[in-house]
Amino acid sequence: MQSASTFKNMSRRVRIGLAVGLAAVVAGCAQDAPQDTWDPAGRNAQMIHDLQWPVFAIAGVVGVIVLSVVAYVIVKFRDRGQAMPEQTHGKPALEIALTILPALILIGVAIPTVGTLMALNETDDTECVVNVTGQQWWWEIDYPAQDGCGEGISAPIVTSGQMIIPTDTNVLVRGTSRDVIHSWWIPRLNGKRDMVPGRVHTVRLQADEPGIYAGQCTEFCGLSHANMRMEVVALDPADFEAWKAKQLSEYEAPEPDTLAAAGEATYIAQCSRCHQVDGLEDAEGDPVIARPDLQVYSGAAPNLTWFMTRNTFAGATWDLLIPECRAAVWEAPPGEFGERYLEGVPEDCLNSVDLREWLRNAPAKKPMYADPEQLEETDGLVRGMPNLALSEDQIDELVAYLLDRQ
Amino acid sequence: MAIIERPSSTPTATTEYVTPSASMGFLRRPVETSGWKSWAFTVDHKKIGIMYGVVAMLFFFVGGLEAVLIRAQLAQADGTILSADKYNQMFTMHATTMIFLFVMPMAAAFANYMIPLQIGARDVAFPRLNALSLWTFVFGGIFLNTSWVLGGAADGGWFMYAPNSSVPFSPTNGVDFWVLGLLITGIASQVGAINLIVTCLNMRAPGMSLMRMPIFTWMAMVVQFLLLFAIPVITVALFLLMFQRNFDATFFSVEEGADPLLWQHLFWIFGHPEVYIIVLPAFGIISEVLPTFARKPLFGYPFVVFSGAAIGFVGFGVWAHHMFAAGLGPISVAVFSVATMAIAVPTGVKIINWTLTLWGGKLWFTTAMLFAIGLIVQFTIGGLSGVTHAVAPSDTQQTDTYYIVAHFHYVIFGGAVLGLFAGIYYWWPKVFGKMLNENWGRANFWFMIIGMNLTFGPMHIIGLQGQPRRMYVWTENRAGEGFFNLGFWNLVSTVGTVILAIGALLFLVNVWVSRKNPPAPEDPWDARSLEWLTTSPPKEHNFDRTPTVHALDEFFHRKYEDVGENGQHDFKKVATAEELLAEEEANADAHIHLPSPSYWPIVLAFSMPVLAYGIIYSTLLIIVGAAIAILALFGWALEPPTAPEDDFDPPSPTDGGEPSKELVTSV
Amino acid sequence: MSDATVNPPATAEPVHDDTIPEGYDDTQDHIGLPHDTSTGLSNTKLAMWMFLGSECLLFGGLISTYMLYRNRQGDAVGPDQLWDIPFTSATSFVLLMSSLTMVLAVTSAQRRDERRARLWLVVTALLGGLFLSGQVYEFTVFYREGLGYTTSLFASSFYTLTGFHGVHVAVGIIMLLSLVAMLAKNRIVGDKAETIEMVGLYWHFVDVVWIVIFTLVYLIPA
Repeated sequence: MQSASTFKNMSRRVRIGLAVGLAAVVAGCAQDAPQDTWDPAGRNAQMIHDLQWPVFAIAGVVGVIVLSVVAYVIVKFRDRGQAMPEQTHGKPALEIALTILPALILIGVAIPTVGTLMALNETDDTECVVNVTGQQWWWEIDYPAQDGCGEGISAPIVTSGQMIIPTDTNVLVRGTSRDVIHSWWIPRLNGKRDMVPGRVHTVRLQADEPGIYAGQCTEFCGLSHANMRMEVVALDPADFEAWKAKQLSEYEAPEPDTLAAAGEATYIAQCSRCHQVDGLEDAEGDPVIARPDLQVYSGAAPNLTWFMTRNTFAGATWDLLIPECRAAVWEAPPGEFGERYLEGVPEDCLNSVDLREWLRNAPAKKPMYADPEQLEETDGLVRGMPNLALSEDQIDELVAYLLDRQ
Repeated sequence: MAIIERPSSTPTATTEYVTPSASMGFLRRPVETSGWKSWAFTVDHKKIGIMYGVVAMLFFFVGGLEAVLIRAQLAQADGTILSADKYNQMFTMHATTMIFLFVMPMAAAFANYMIPLQIGARDVAFPRLNALSLWTFVFGGIFLNTSWVLGGAADGGWFMYAPNSSVPFSPTNGVDFWVLGLLITGIASQVGAINLIVTCLNMRAPGMSLMRMPIFTWMAMVVQFLLLFAIPVITVALFLLMFQRNFDATFFSVEEGADPLLWQHLFWIFGHPEVYIIVLPAFGIISEVLPTFARKPLFGYPFVVFSGAAIGFVGFGVWAHHMFAAGLGPISVAVFSVATMAIAVPTGVKIINWTLTLWGGKLWFTTAMLFAIGLIVQFTIGGLSGVTHAVAPSDTQQTDTYYIVAHFHYVIFGGAVLGLFAGIYYWWPKVFGKMLNENWGRANFWFMIIGMNLTFGPMHIIGLQGQPRRMYVWTENRAGEGFFNLGFWNLVSTVGTVILAIGALLFLVNVWVSRKNPPAPEDPWDARSLEWLTTSPPKEHNFDRTPTVHALDEFFHRKYEDVGENGQHDFKKVATAEELLAEEEANADAHIHLPSPSYWPIVLAFSMPVLAYGIIYSTLLIIVGAAIAILALFGWALEPPTAPEDDFDPPSPTDGGEPSKELVTSV
Repeated sequence: MSDATVNPPATAEPVHDDTIPEGYDDTQDHIGLPHDTSTGLSNTKLAMWMFLGSECLLFGGLISTYMLYRNRQGDAVGPDQLWDIPFTSATSFVLLMSSLTMVLAVTSAQRRDERRARLWLVVTALLGGLFLSGQVYEFTVFYREGLGYTTSLFASSFYTLTGFHGVHVAVGIIMLLSLVAMLAKNRIVGDKAETIEMVGLYWHFVDVVWIVIFTLVYLIPA
C-alpha cells in the first residue's frame, strides 16, 4: 500500500518546494515598506531589531535542523521491505539532553530580552513629552507646555493625525483613549502600545533623521479601525522650531471678499460646532469655541487651526497632497525633507478630490456611525463625522478656507 | 449516572424502580435502535462521537467560507467585496466558528469515540451527560449562527475586547449572540470535561495503570483538565459582559471607573489554556499514528506524557503574553515573557520524540501518516515563530500584525487541523467500517499542505513589513515598492486560500467516492492500541469481554511476542487481529448491560437557546426556557440510567451463550 | 490459529499482574461502583470533586473582580456604611450549622438510618433557606440605603458575587429537598449513602465559598 515512486516524487517535490520557498522568502520582501519593522529608523526600534534578528536566526537554524532531520528520516527509513524495526521505547539520557539544550538556548535569549525590555521602559532620559489620545477613528496629538522639545513649548499645541518631533530627541508619548482601546504604532520607531481609556501608557519615540514615519492603529477599535492611521514627522531642530512657531502663531482671518472669507462664514455655521480653530471670531468678534462634546459620543473632534500644515486628513486616511507632491515629500532625502514638509499644502498640490468627497458626505467615504436614525445607543451622539448635506458652493468655500489654514 | 451492571437473576416480585411511563404519566423512554430517533436520543458514545464529528466538519466549511470571503476582500488594495461592517463580522465569526465550533468539537468527537475503546470500557462514565454535551454544542452553534440573519453577527473580534464590546460601541445584538452562544457551548465543554475525566480515571480496564494508558487518551485527559479549569473563567467574563449589555452593569464602563484590562485578563486566563486545548488532542492523535506507521513504539512515552501535563499546567501561567502591548508594566511583561519561553521547552520535547519515533522505523506513508508528518513540519514552523513572540520587545512589533496571524494559523491549522485529519484518516475504517481512498487522500493532503503554506507563509512577510490585522482594507500607500510588495503577497495568500479550499473539498470527495468501498478489516494498519481489538465498526457494546491489560500498547503485545534471547529483542507475529477477536467473542460476557437512550439530554439542551433568545428578545421566552430546563432536569433525575425491559419495543431475543444487547430488568 | 476459538477456556486465565485488583473476575462488570473503579472513588463522587474544582475557578474569577472593584463606589454608599457585621455573622453561622446537619445526614445514611437522614436533610435545607432569607433581607436593606445593582462598580461586583453564591445555595436547597422526596419514594438509583454524600460535598463547598466571601468582602476592611 505504500508507493515507492510516490515517495521519491515526494522527496523531489519536497526539495523543489523548499527551494522555491526559500527563494521567495529571500527575494520576496517589499522595498521601502513604510511600516517595515525590519527597517528601524530610531534608537528604540533599533534596540528591538538588534534583539530580534538573532532570535530569528536561532529559530531559523533550529527550524532548518529539525526539518532536515525530518526530511532525512522520511527518506532513510521508508519501508523498503526491511525487517520489523527495533522496538525502542526511548533513551532517557538523550531526551533529557535534548530538553536541557533548548532550555539553555532560551535562557540565553531571555537575558537580553529582559535587558532590552527595561531599556525600552526607561523614562528618565525624556527630552520631550507629547500626549496622544485615540478616539474612534482618529488620533489627537497635543504638546503640553514644557521646557523640552527643542527650545521649549510656551503654550499647548493641539493637532491631529501627524506628530511632529525633533530628530535625535527622546520623545515620550503619553497616551490614552476617549472611548475604546486603540494602539499607537510607528513600526520604524518603536513597538506598539495600547491606548486604553482610563489609563495613561507611555511609549518612547526617537528618530535618527528627518523623515515621515507611517503608522496605524493596531488594536481593533470598531468599524473604521482600518482607517485610523497616523504619521510621525521628524524635523531637524531648526525646522522643528519653525514648525512650533507656526503652530503657536496668531490666527489670520482670510482677506475680505474672497472665497476663503465666505468659507470662514460657512465654517462657523457648519463646522465650528465640533472643529476648533483657535483665534477664530464670529461676526460680533466673539471667539468661536467648538463644543464637540455636545455632538460626538467620545467628546472630541480634530483641531483644524493649522490644518494644511499637515498633509493627511480624516484619521490620516487620505492625503491632502496629490501623488506627485506627496512623493516629493515622502521620498525627499533627509537633507531636504524638512523644507518640503514645511511647505504644507500649496494650492496646486491640493488633493481636492478626496477632500471634497469627504466634505460632501463623510460617512459614505469612511464607515462611521453617523446615521441619525441609528444613534439610540449613544443618546443621539455620533461616532465619527456626520453628513452635513453641504452644497457644492459651500464645499468650494470651505476648501478655500481650509487651504488658508497654513 | 454510571452504567450499572448487575448479575442476571430472576426479577423479584417487588421491583425497586418505577418505570418512567408510570411515574411521569406520559413518556416512555425512547427505545428505537434504528432510524433518526436512534441518533437523536442515543447515549452511545460512538454515535455521539460521530455526530460531533459531522457537525464539526460542517462548521469547518462554514468557517472556511468566511475565510475565503476575507481573503477575497484582501486580494487587492481597497477591496470592495465586503463592507467594513460585514468584514468585521466575518473575521469575528471565522475565528469563533473555527475555534469553538470546529476544532474543539472535532477533538471532542475523537475523545468521545476513542477514549472508552482505548481504555477497554463500554461507554463513558455518564452517557446521558455525554448526549447533553453533544446537543448543547449543536444547539449553541446553530444559535450563534442565527445572528447572521437576526441583525448581524458579532463584530468585535473573537476575543471581544472591552469597552468595544459594550452597547454604545456594539449596538446590534451580534455580541449578545456571541456571549450567549459561547456560554451554551461552554456548558457542553465543561460537562464533557467532567465526564471524560471520570471516565479516564475510573473506568480503565484492569491492569491499565495510568502509564499504560494510550497516549491519545492521556492527551485528551489533560485537555479535559484544562477545559475544567479554563471554562469557568471565560464563563465569568461572559456573564460580566452579559450583565453589562443586558442589565446595565458597569463592569467595563470606563466613565464609571472600570478597568478595561479586567476583560483581557479574564479572557486570556481562559484563552491561553484554550490554545493548548486546541492543539493537544492533535498531538495525542499523531502520537498514535506515527508509531503505528513507523512500526515501533512512541519514543519516550513517559516524556510525552509529562510534557503534555507540563504544557497544561504551565499554560495557566503565561496568559499575559497576549497582552505585551497592553500596558502591563515592564516587570509583569518580563515575567510572562520568560514563562512563555519556558513553555516552549516541553513543546519542543514532543517534536523530538515524534522525530525519534520515526528514526529507525519502517515508514509506511498512508494518508494518515502524511498528515502526521505534516504536523511535525508545520507545527515546528509555527512553534518557532511563537518563540520569536515570546521575546516581549519583539512582540510589540509583531502583535496585532499578520505575523501573529501567520503564527497562530501555522500552529492551529498546521498543528491541530492536520492532526485531526490524520485522526480522521487513521480511524475512519474503525468508525465507519470502510477504508478511505488513499489516492484521493494524498490529493487532499497535498492540496491542503501547499494551500496552507501559500496562504499563511506570506503572512509572516506581510506582518513583519507592517500590515496590521483585522483591517477590512489595506492600501497601496503602506504596501511598499517592488514586485514583491505587500500587494503581491496578499494576492499569493488569497490564491493559497483557494488551493486550501480545494484541499478541504477533496476530503468530501474522498468520503463520497469511498462510500461504496468493501468492508474494512478489523486492523488495517497493524496498530498498537486497544481500540483495534474490536470489529470495524465496533459492536454497540465495544468489547465482548473487558480486556485485561498487561502492558502499554496492549493490542500490539497480543499480536506480537518477543522471542528474542540474551537481551536481544525479536518480535514475531503470533496472532492476527481476527484471531484475537474470535477469541474474545468465544469468551464473551453472558449478559451485557448498556445504558438506555433518553429524551432528557436533548430536551435540556434545547432549553438553552430558548433561554438565550429570551435574554435577547423576550422575558416570556426566559420563563419558557427555564420551565423546559427544570422539567428536563427532574425528568432526568427521576429516570434510571437503564430502562426496564418492558419499555422495549419490540423485544429482541436473548440467547444464552451470546452476548446480548438486551436489557434485563435491574434488581 | 489459536486454540481459543475452538475450545474456549472455561474460566478466565489466571492473571499475575500487580495492577489488577485482587479477586477480579473477567466475567462480571461492576463499573462505577467504588470498589470497581481504578481510583476507588465512585464515578459520581469523582465527578462531583471535579465539578467543585472547576467551581473554584468560577468563584475565583468573581472574587477577583470584586477585589478589583471593591473601592470603586464613586460618590454612592460603600462597605463602611452598609455592612452589618453582626447580622451577617449570624447568617454565616446558620450556614455553617447547615454543614453540620449535612454531615449528620450523611452519617445517618451511612448507618442505613434513612428516616433520620431525611430529617437532617430537611433541617439542612431549612437552615439554607434561613441563610438565603437573611441574604434577601440584607439586600433589601442595602437597596433602601442606596445600593442598587447598577449604582456603582462596587455594587455590581458585590451583588454579582453574592448573587452567584446565593443561586448556588438555592440550587443546593432544591437538590436537598428533591433528594428527600426521591428517598421517600425510593427513586434513588445506586447507593443512597453515596448520593447523599455527593450532595453533601456540594453543600460543604458552597459553605466554604461563603466563608471566603464573608472574610474577603465583609471582614477585611476596604
